[in-house]
Amino acid sequence: MYILGISCYYHDASAALLKDGIILAAATEERFTRKKHDVLFPINAVNYCLRSQNISINDIDYIGFYEKPFLKFERVLSQHLEMFPLSFKTFISSMPSWINEKVRITKTIKKKLKYKKDVFFIEHHLAHAASFLISPFKKAAIVTIDGVGEWTTTAYGIGEENNINLIKEIGFPSSLGLLYSTITAYLGFSVNNSEYKVMGLSPYGLVDRKKNEYYKKIRKVIDIKEDGSYRLDMSYFIYHFADRMPSKKLCKLLGGLVRKPESELTQRHNDIAAALQMIYEEVLFKILNHIHNETKCKNLVLAGGCGLNSVANGKILKNTIFEHFWTQPDPGDGGTSIGAACYVYNTILGNKRKFILNDAFLGPEFSTESIKNFLDKNNIQYSKFKNEKEMIKTTAKLIYDNKVIGWFQGRMEFGPRALGNRSILANPCNPKAKELLNSKVKHREKFRPFAPVVCEDDALKYFDCDKPIPKPTDFMLMVYPIKEELRKKIPSVTHVDGSGRLQTIKKEQNPLYYGLIKEFGKLSGIPILINTSFNVRGEPIVCTPYDAYKCMMGTGIDYLIMDKFLIRRENNQKDMWDSEKYVKEQ
Amino acid sequence: MKKLKQFFNGFQKGVKSFGDNISTIINFILLSIVYLIGVGLTSITAKIFGKHFLDMKKKKNSYWVDLNLKNKSIKEYYRKF
Repeated sequence: MYILGISCYYHDASAALLKDGIILAAATEERFTRKKHDVLFPINAVNYCLRSQNISINDIDYIGFYEKPFLKFERVLSQHLEMFPLSFKTFISSMPSWINEKVRITKTIKKKLKYKKDVFFIEHHLAHAASFLISPFKKAAIVTIDGVGEWTTTAYGIGEENNINLIKEIGFPSSLGLLYSTITAYLGFSVNNSEYKVMGLSPYGLVDRKKNEYYKKIRKVIDIKEDGSYRLDMSYFIYHFADRMPSKKLCKLLGGLVRKPESELTQRHNDIAAALQMIYEEVLFKILNHIHNETKCKNLVLAGGCGLNSVANGKILKNTIFEHFWTQPDPGDGGTSIGAACYVYNTILGNKRKFILNDAFLGPEFSTESIKNFLDKNNIQYSKFKNEKEMIKTTAKLIYDNKVIGWFQGRMEFGPRALGNRSILANPCNPKAKELLNSKVKHREKFRPFAPVVCEDDALKYFDCDKPIPKPTDFMLMVYPIKEELRKKIPSVTHVDGSGRLQTIKKEQNPLYYGLIKEFGKLSGIPILINTSFNVRGEPIVCTPYDAYKCMMGTGIDYLIMDKFLIRRENNQKDMWDSEKYVKEQ
Repeated sequence: MKKLKQFFNGFQKGVKSFGDNISTIINFILLSIVYLIGVGLTSITAKIFGKHFLDMKKKKNSYWVDLNLKNKSIKEYYRKF
């Protein structure tokens, strides 16, 4: 039985394909259209899913859609009714897409895919919560926190075997996710995209609640109860009727206008980011402790866009009574296509669970032959490795010699993180690597740290992780302190507070990548690499050999290792271009 | 022949752009009417009777609200609401 999961029209449209309860393929639309966070109907992602299994749409038995569009439309109309006449502008701009696309989703699915069978609609937070169905737990407390679904912004409940019961919720307009997004907008970053930058900025600010004046100020905006429930004072926000988020009152409270993008970040901005992160963690831990008291479960599944807050995730087991923690590689809206498909198979149709998501390699892959054809057709200069051993040895040596490597292997990762198949790799011991990668390769803000990747069997030697190491570290979704004695040895992946957003890798997940890290360890004495996503700022992670080659030729990446082929940038000067200029123009 | 093709391509683009502009204007006019009359009148009437569509002001001891979202009959999942 094939089931297709679809999410679209808000952000990160995606598709996922299930066969008899096993996830075979999943991808976000942005990777194909090259438009970051693409929201449109994921026709390319669906086509990829079908193509990957050599099936047609006629083979699909059911489609699961990630929300109830009419319930969402009811909420949108309620916003307009409540906020009349302030919502005029957003009404005019948003209604055409609601009328033409969003409420006609069944028609769109049937028309675009030529699909004739059943479509199931699953509530948005249930589609998030359904990531429990691919977790390693038989029973777990489930928490979903995001911007907003239909009405729900935060929910919790219990998952047991095939069933999920979300017991309580907090509804729109109060939203922890939208609070985070509002401050993100206030700090001059893009909403639904750059929240992780605020998280990365927060350690630069004052993390003492008593000394950080903005902590007290932002606390005025949110009423937090002991059971973790909360309510936002909506006079500080305008997102419920406008296409912007912070109100003038919030700007006044925080002592200035919204920061202009790309303008200088000051200590005030750092302190605001720190205050927000502290408040987010305070609410999260209160919610989690309350849920533990209610459910008495020792396992926790977290889902929703806020599950991407890896700084808070890394503190969950220390600050709550839960013993085990899990979240899927894409806890945000992109992951709801997987959730919707699993919910249809396991819960609606009542089939037993038989799949645990152990890795995120669910995207397209390209054969050696197709890559060779691409290189030959485009007259690209390259050499070929004799075998994997030579490839690992050569690559490790290049990284050890402080070269920046584009690493393109096997199936593309699902979710926002590059996990070793579409990655840029570099030497973490090189003190200049962070600056080099930020300025010459990624063209991104100086304050942003890079992530370390380490083999799971070495992780506890170098990081103060929870024991046993939680599985979401495999998806780069947990931040932990780096052991103090090591921080100076790997400066490029050590954040200002001594932490690192590590990725752990097991041999069975990706033997080639695992072998490369170990080989680098033999040369440097430290089996850790810098792993950052293979893209430039503002672009989605590369998907095809063409994307990878193009990205390398426009940046400071020295070598591209694509399958068994080694391509040197210097040998292909005809294709060079200036990605720095491109990023500035975006 | 090439020039003729170019002309027709340009003409086609122009007509499409004109159509898009017209539909934007008509959309704006129709939606403005719907907003002012439909949304506006409903909103004002509701406010006179004290009805609120968003829960924004009430202070409570706990903001958790019962949801009880669990497995339902299969028919429920065919619905978009």
